[in-house]
Amino acid sequence: MTTFNLPDLGEGLAEAEIVRWHVNVGDAVTVDQPMLAVETAKAVVEVPAPFSGIVKALHGRPGDIVATGAPLIEFEGGNRDAGTVVGNMPTSDTELVETVRAAHRTNNVNGGETGCPSGERLRAAPAARALAKRLGVDLAAINGTGRGGVIVVDDVIAHSARAPSITSIANGPLANTSSSTPLTGEKLRGLRRAMSQSMAQARDNVTNCTLFDDADLHHWRDNEDFTTRLLRAIAAGCRAEPALNAWFDGSAQTRQLLTKVNVGIAVDTPDGLIVPVIRDVGGRSATELRQEVNRLKRAARDRTVTPDDLRDVTFMLSNFGMIAGRYATPVVVPPMVAILGSGRLSRDVVAVSGGIEAHLRMPLSLTFDHRCVTGGEAARFLAAALRDLEKDN
Amino acid sequence: MPKVTMIEAINRAHAWEMTRDPAVVVLGEDVGVNGGVFRATAGLQEQFGKDRVQDTPLAEGMIAGMALGMATQGLKPVAEIQFMGFLYPAMDQIGNHMARLRNRTRGRLTCPVVIRMPHGGGIHAPEHHSECLEALLAHHAGLRVVCPSSPARAYGLLLAAIRDPDPVIFLEPARLYRLVKQEVADDGEALPLDVCYRLREGSDVTIVTWGAMVTETLRAADEMEGAGVSCEVLDLATLSPIDHDSILESVLKTGRLVIVHEAPRNCGIGAEIAATVAERGLYDLHAPIKRVTGYDTIIPLSRLEHDYIPSAARITDAVRETLAE
Repeated sequence: MTTFNLPDLGEGLAEAEIVRWHVNVGDAVTVDQPMLAVETAKAVVEVPAPFSGIVKALHGRPGDIVATGAPLIEFEGGNRDAGTVVGNMPTSDTELVETVRAAHRTNNVNGGETGCPSGERLRAAPAARALAKRLGVDLAAINGTGRGGVIVVDDVIAHSARAPSITSIANGPLANTSSSTPLTGEKLRGLRRAMSQSMAQARDNVTNCTLFDDADLHHWRDNEDFTTRLLRAIAAGCRAEPALNAWFDGSAQTRQLLTKVNVGIAVDTPDGLIVPVIRDVGGRSATELRQEVNRLKRAARDRTVTPDDLRDVTFMLSNFGMIAGRYATPVVVPPMVAILGSGRLSRDVVAVSGGIEAHLRMPLSLTFDHRCVTGGEAARFLAAALRDLEKDN
Repeated sequence: MPKVTMIEAINRAHAWEMTRDPAVVVLGEDVGVNGGVFRATAGLQEQFGKDRVQDTPLAEGMIAGMALGMATQGLKPVAEIQFMGFLYPAMDQIGNHMARLRNRTRGRLTCPVVIRMPHGGGIHAPEHHSECLEALLAHHAGLRVVCPSSPARAYGLLLAAIRDPDPVIFLEPARLYRLVKQEVADDGEALPLDVCYRLREGSDVTIVTWGAMVTETLRAADEMEGAGVSCEVLDLATLSPIDHDSILESVLKTGRLVIVHEAPRNCGIGAEIAATVAERGLYDLHAPIKRVTGYDTIIPLSRLEHDYIPSAARITDAVRETLAE
């Protein structure tokens, strides 16, 4: 004999009223056949047979209130199989319909690692994704430089630095132009274009390092010639350290020390920078040097400088102090390895033995290419140049 | 095609393979006369006799040891452990011997054993009857761990497990035994082991799950689809070895990963999947990996067990979180 108890008809109702029986004692019922109607607080519900069997007894008559879980019907026959010895097996009438696709790989018991399959999608380091989101950068606009083209944090930073920021557009020289409009204006030509190219080349190739010091000109006579004294000082420096009078080819890693010191003097012209060359400054007198300087300056301003006047420069002098500026970081132009800048003269208070004095001083800035000149060589060059420059004649 | 429950599908797979291969034998507590605690082996002893369907004493260590001995002598035993919490006494035989037999004999002997057991809670059972211990098993080299989530996969994967020359632990989600019916052709066709099954194709987030959690996950996926989110649902099916390639392939497509398992979180198989995706697919991820798991507590008794077992609501929460990144 199996007892069927009033099931929970849903929503946790505690009881139900029997409305009518559809079956009688002795009836054979089949699974899911309606056995009786009960009325709950919510609705009239048909209770189906839980399994097939013969009705042995009915508990309750129409109008009776039956508690959920109380016996309702007795069935004849052996024990019904609940499907388990412990707990309740959840069941339903649901039919499972699946659209299944097994991964198409064959059985690979040893689990070979084939690596991640490649795809079209962006691959980015999580930190790069987070940074791009914070900066409002579109990852699709970035070419990844990580392994396999992965976008890494540096790529996002580089991209955001390259893109004009809102601040720079608002305040910068492009304030009134949209970033997509090309600049209108003159195309660089001639000297200015040459300067642009040689400076960019210098920036990309040279390892600039600059030393600063001051020449004390207190012992100079009133009529000393600054330019020729500077040329003489450079010659003295190069005698002390020939490494600064050299040509260097970085790609070939070849250095050529030069015997003659040919100094290029940067001359500022309305069309741009021009650098005529004073040859063999170590082998000429002060008078000869002055004559040559005068000739070349005149030629530069008249634009009558010949190609020969610009050739074979081995060392550079920039006399920017004639205009303004005390110190600078002059740029070495390959294949040369050094440039000396002289700043604006000034009377400085200096400490001397027994007190302080006002001395005329010349600021010097020596830039050297640290790829082939050592710091010691540069400093010794500068020391020798200073010694020569500070002589009274 | 007949519509069958998972328990019926398991029963039919036994019958098919016992008919096809006389080396297949069944053993366990109450598997014979009673047809198994959940009726997985109902009718088999009548059909194949007491020699091939043996009731054993209540001793899991012995059941596993017997199966191991039979396997070394040319039989293909399918042993039943009544509940996963009763696995522990059998672990010595399983971990120290079955899993090592091929290695120990340098390949001379394999160990064609299947040990079946119910997996997980949700049936209001007493203590020791609702455990999810797959991570314990997956940590043993030499064991294959399989967990079907539908009648069709229970049928096809059990056949594959019995035919496999090495030991397979076959975990059957007890909650799903009679939950739904499915058309399953009783044709002896095995399904491939060691691969995921894609139950739902999607583009926004990949959800990897197995066992009874597949049901909750599909429910969550339906709900998310209503919210305009396209979930790809992978049934892991073989829990060890894991089909990492299929998971990575899906993550490459969706960029987001949620792992759902009923077992406790700590050192669960979800951690292994997450670690592997971090190692091999990190740059494809748009958001941190999320896990929805049981808690790191003993699974509670019946009144609270549904608070412990991940629900569709917890899964949709995790999907929404990963999409918010």
